[in-house]
Amino acid sequence: MALPLPPGLTHAEVAFLAEMELVTVVPRQRLESIELLGGKTPPLRPPHRTDLPLWLALLLKKQRRANIAPPPWLHPSSLSEIIKRETKENPTTFSEPPPPPARADPSRPGIASRGRDHDNDDDDGDVILSAPFRPSCTADAPAGYLPYHWLEVAESLLAHAGDDVASLGASAGEVRGLLRDLVEVRAAKMRSSTSQLEGFGGGLMSLRGVGAMELAESRGFVLGVVDGVRKTGASTEAARREEEEERGQDDDEDGESDEEMGI
Amino acid sequence: MDIDDILRDVDPTFHTIPQEKRDLQELTRTWIAERSAPELLPWPANGLFERINSNIKRQIEKVEEMTGDMDPKTNFALIVIQTELERYRYLVRSYLRARIAKIDKHTLHYLSTDELRARLSEMELAYATRHQALLHNHYLSSFLSSFPPNLQNLNDTSVGLNMIDTPDLESAVFIRLLKNAVVRGRGVDADDVFSARESDIVILRWADAKPLVAAGSAELV
Repeated sequence: MALPLPPGLTHAEVAFLAEMELVTVVPRQRLESIELLGGKTPPLRPPHRTDLPLWLALLLKKQRRANIAPPPWLHPSSLSEIIKRETKENPTTFSEPPPPPARADPSRPGIASRGRDHDNDDDDGDVILSAPFRPSCTADAPAGYLPYHWLEVAESLLAHAGDDVASLGASAGEVRGLLRDLVEVRAAKMRSSTSQLEGFGGGLMSLRGVGAMELAESRGFVLGVVDGVRKTGASTEAARREEEEERGQDDDEDGESDEEMGI
Repeated sequence: MDIDDILRDVDPTFHTIPQEKRDLQELTRTWIAERSAPELLPWPANGLFERINSNIKRQIEKVEEMTGDMDPKTNFALIVIQTELERYRYLVRSYLRARIAKIDKHTLHYLSTDELRARLSEMELAYATRHQALLHNHYLSSFLSSFPPNLQNLNDTSVGLNMIDTPDLESAVFIRLLKNAVVRGRGVDADDVFSARESDIVILRWADAKPLVAAGSAELV
């Protein structure tokens, strides 16, 4: 009964996660609130927009009980802007992930802050929401940013709610074409990042802005290369570590103060 | 809905996340972490699974109650409830199975010290102990008993070589930063330190990522 899968999420598991993303629906029928394990669903009252998880939105869509309002980043103009940014402005890195949801600062009324730092942990104990629980695919999400599950959400919206996507002003085919371009551009970046892996001597590599499916796609390869580099370089590394240890304690102390500066 | 609910809805400072959503986020995160980490992670101590199990049980009872009702309106609600229940149970099942796979692979390792044993839940500990006992007995009856007594152990460390297989804690993983934090990584040619921003995705060794994940500054993806 043990799970026979290798470490790391597979494509199917990533797609499953993407179905938890919140999307905005425009109900066509009334539906009372349903008590689910993940919390109560909001009651549906046409024509009021409501945010629901994607799996539920698709279920409602298939039964013609609701339409899905596509997220702004799926708009053709937003997609072409992202493609422009990915190709012209930043040909080597992925475009920025969406900013964290704004949080009102209780100590300074009227001022909202984005993100958190180490030094304002006053709301500790509260879980920090991350994809797929951040509202990054709703109608209120910012345009011009690709959320973590962009490809999966876009694909399933195109497949099951193509008419709603077309209501954005471009045919579903056009959106699909733009997505295809984006996938190509980003896949090329993912591939070129592997040349960085070859000299993976530093121990850290950042892939800010990468999507879940893209990670799943190259997970096996990337992790395999990183582990391979580590194993072939194990003796070099051990020798280097020994050398550094011999160099004495002074360096260690310096190292520690550097770390504090970093924070 | 009374006045408090309305105020809560419009007040941006009132950002409490409902318990159910919190649990789902935590379950999802724990599941992804268990699926991605090379070693067995500690069993959540905050009663998460006790809560989840009793919720699932209650939901199943509700489904049974509702099945008798053939009104088309509740019927659709039933479909939604059942779909969600199955999705939820899939997460729990996959999580438990991923753990069993790790326990099966390195049973003796997870039973070797008290600190490692503490990572297992009560059930898992019982399972691991019994599984190992059965296996050892089977080996004994099939071939170990014909070995000289000093070679019959399965966890011999005396010759300087450990017989107990351990997971590779240096395997690479992907993490996502939940807060701005300093990430430190050991590499082959050089060690690296940089201050990462929230939602950065970083590849590094699990041993280096572990403190960040344990502190809640990062999650595995």
